[in-house]
Amino acid sequence: MKKPIILILAAVLLLPFLVRPAIASEIWLFAIFGLGANLLLGYTGLLSFGQATFFGSAAYIAGWMMKVHGINAFLALAAGVGVGAASAAVVGYLCVQRSGLYFIMLTFALNQLFYFTAYQWTSITGGEDGMPGVPRPVLLGIDFKDPLVYYAFVSLLFLISLYLMRRIVESPLGKILQAIRENEVRAEAVGYDVPRFKLLAFVIGGAFSGLAGVLYAMLFGIVPLESIGFVFSGNVIFATLIGGSGSLYGPVIGSFVFIWLSESMSTVWARWPLLLGVAFVLVVMFLRGGVVEAWTRFWSWRSSKQRT
Amino acid sequence: MSKLSRRDVLKAGAAAATLGFPAIIRAQSKEIVILGLWDQTGAFADVGPINDRGMKMALEERNMQILGRPIKYITRDGATQAGTSTRRTEEAVDGDGAKFVIGPWSSGVALAVSEVAKRKKVLHLFSGGTEDISGARCHRYSFQWAASPYTAAKTVVDSFMKANPKAKRWHLLVADYAFGWSVEKYIKEVGKAHGLEFVGADRHPLGEREFSNYVQKAAANKPDAVAMINFGGDAVAGAREIFNFGLTPKVPLIMTWSSGVEELVQLSPEIRQNCWVGSNFYYTADTPGAKAFVKSYQAKFGNPPGYAPSASYSMTRLLLAGFDKAKSAEVQDVIKALEGIEVNDIVGRMRMDAATHQNIRPYFFMRCKQKAAMKHETDFADIIATGDAPLPKEYGACKDIGGF
Amino acid sequence: MSFVAAQILNGIATGMLYALMGLGLSLITGILNIPNFAHGALFAIGAYFLVSSALIIGNFWVALLVAPIGVAILGLVIEYAGIRRLYAAGHDYQLLFTFGLALILSESIILIWGPVGSSYLPPEILRGGADLGFTMYPKYRLFVMVAAGLLVFATWLFLEKTRYGAIMRAGIENKEMVSLLGIDIKMLFTVAFALGAYLAGIAGALTAPIRGLNPGMGPDMLGIAFVVVALGGLGNLLGAIAAGLIIGVAQALVAAYWTEASTVVIYAVMAVILLVRPQGLFGIR
Repeated sequence: MKKPIILILAAVLLLPFLVRPAIASEIWLFAIFGLGANLLLGYTGLLSFGQATFFGSAAYIAGWMMKVHGINAFLALAAGVGVGAASAAVVGYLCVQRSGLYFIMLTFALNQLFYFTAYQWTSITGGEDGMPGVPRPVLLGIDFKDPLVYYAFVSLLFLISLYLMRRIVESPLGKILQAIRENEVRAEAVGYDVPRFKLLAFVIGGAFSGLAGVLYAMLFGIVPLESIGFVFSGNVIFATLIGGSGSLYGPVIGSFVFIWLSESMSTVWARWPLLLGVAFVLVVMFLRGGVVEAWTRFWSWRSSKQRT
Repeated sequence: MSKLSRRDVLKAGAAAATLGFPAIIRAQSKEIVILGLWDQTGAFADVGPINDRGMKMALEERNMQILGRPIKYITRDGATQAGTSTRRTEEAVDGDGAKFVIGPWSSGVALAVSEVAKRKKVLHLFSGGTEDISGARCHRYSFQWAASPYTAAKTVVDSFMKANPKAKRWHLLVADYAFGWSVEKYIKEVGKAHGLEFVGADRHPLGEREFSNYVQKAAANKPDAVAMINFGGDAVAGAREIFNFGLTPKVPLIMTWSSGVEELVQLSPEIRQNCWVGSNFYYTADTPGAKAFVKSYQAKFGNPPGYAPSASYSMTRLLLAGFDKAKSAEVQDVIKALEGIEVNDIVGRMRMDAATHQNIRPYFFMRCKQKAAMKHETDFADIIATGDAPLPKEYGACKDIGGF
Repeated sequence: MSFVAAQILNGIATGMLYALMGLGLSLITGILNIPNFAHGALFAIGAYFLVSSALIIGNFWVALLVAPIGVAILGLVIEYAGIRRLYAAGHDYQLLFTFGLALILSESIILIWGPVGSSYLPPEILRGGADLGFTMYPKYRLFVMVAAGLLVFATWLFLEKTRYGAIMRAGIENKEMVSLLGIDIKMLFTVAFALGAYLAGIAGALTAPIRGLNPGMGPDMLGIAFVVVALGGLGNLLGAIAAGLIIGVAQALVAAYWTEASTVVIYAVMAVILLVRPQGLFGIR
């Protein structure tokens, strides 16, 4: 699968020349978020409606530590990953005990719980107003205030995340998760401790979400309340599914589509979320593999035409 | 209703292109770029489009030019969310070269945008319910157009008591956020001089829709007056419930910090009976500026302007006056020009306090009309008083506006 | 004491509406096995349909009859054209369909009716308050309490006493058995969804004169509906009714004494129930 990597590398290099570095950074960090979410959604078959819980918690806590305690960038990243993983461990532990409907509703309820707690705890989170004043600390002497420098930082972390996620899904762990997705009962019968593996998927996904969260806080200098809210959880689901949950690269494409669409469409038609909803429904009904599936289908159609 | 026209499709193409080109290539150095951060989605989705109207009107009065240079007016949807608003403001500053920002409508989000203004060193004008922009979070780049909550509280309490001297027992219904608490504090302060007794004060979460429980509590206290300190949808929901439970019209309802038209239009004449409304602007204001503005707005859009377009209109005119006085379009020059500036505006006389960047100006108090007395659909109320007592120095939290 | 009684009365009134919402959602969840994310939007559409049809027809009572039927028809279309098509793809995709649909419906509301909220007064005879001795209570809310109560009772009767109702209850328990008995399972799903939509629609229609119209009213209600269903037990219909009342009363009492905590408490309760007693307060394992 050499081709996608080349395309992605090209995209990373060219993007800041096509769109503003801040938007480009946001696309890659949202892609990291999507990679984490897709480990659960696509690979393990767990519909988690509360991914923003980990993203937002990491953003708030790491952001607060940077703002109040002035930690450096490396510690901030570690904090983000750590908080993401830890919150996912807690939520995951509670949720994997249930399945199906109950699981889904529990992820939703816990997300709401975190959200309303952040909403009420105004002394730390600022409540509705968000937590402003998050700095971009220095790392190894590099100052990240310049948008292009920060972009390089974010895209590098994205490439590392992509590589890591690829290793994970191609590893035995990845295979086990997919086996759980295909047939949970059989996986259990074969001898795998299914709840434990589900929990692991949560934690890893949470770590990625947490990384994305702290990068988000540093990018905008503010942790808004919506970053821990249900709408945000919904956004990553929209993006991942539209991109294609069956593929490693789906979330990346989905992130592109979602963020680019929301930026360009919002100035044209205020009701553009309607189009997002329609696109999502069409994907769910007719093109479950998302853009990735459309793309591969197109190419195989193309090559079959060429053969005749 | 909105339709996608050919123009919109072209705009989409242009937007996609603008998304693509770095500022270096695109920004023409002659243009002065002004950003109106007006929400099209989210909680204030209904206000964004009319904010835009007011701002455009003010700019068109000058033929989209100032100091002999063309004005480029751009708008962005802040989605009534802090993250989206700050992001789009930064993009407008970095990518479109915006140096002057007006908006947004939500006070919480405005605080976040104010941080961006400070960081990016662009001028920021805002109207809304927060003391902090001219108080604890004051800085050189942001200005507060709306009256101070103290001015509002004093105008409301004094004028209401003048008309209802016997209504001493008050019940307060307060939105649970910093602004709500400030107004509550000032009402209680000013109320002392009138010998008011506060028989109850309940705080409700922002965005609350189930007011029945609070209203029952209020009713149980048997107040002489109920004063609400909230805004927008909360105020509408609260007023409606207060009527449903039969508190109004027997007991007067005071809407302390109302947008006026935008909220009153969502109620019906029956609900509005015995409502007393404090607002930053109401279209029957008796000033030459207001009369001219209302006339041209009405001619253009068929109904009188509410608070939202009036505020954006006035803020834009204030900004333009700043350009005139500074004779320069450099951000720091305009800021210096605005500090201490005095203008005659739609609200009357306005003076921008240099030390706090707080606008010293009248606040309006209205009494809602009975259905039979309404001469037309939007004839909601009469202005019965104005007040412009500024915030006393001992309450001011802005100790040092800082430098550039 | 009369203050507490008044708060409880109010809690029961809102609780009845919650029960209606929960009942509809529980039915759909129980039979179709998906949490219907579009349930809040259906509630909102019920409210909007009521006001629009009342303006066109000129009569509140007729509109109250007509509007929920409109929502039920919408539910029928949604189930037939959308959810049913995804039967083979599995529950997850049916759920995701309702999720995307919720967005489409709420944006459509703004597209059709605009973003500005509005008020709608109840009909003349139901305006104003009734003196109940211990408190003054709005007549319209009393009406809603009675109407919702009757609807809940009627639904219960249908489910308990009619043959098709029994089939539906069996469908919640054991779908394979039901289809083995030769009953058209697909039709069962469609009827269940339409009935659930009807209940959401009439809850919305009844609410319009209390809360007015607002594009955001859907998502607000969806959260509560989920909590009700979780508390009552997914698919447990009596449980949903009881849960709705409990939450309504609890909200009223919490609002009276500890206003800031209300929403956190609700979701904490939901999480705890799903963890500790997933069959809900009233279900049997």
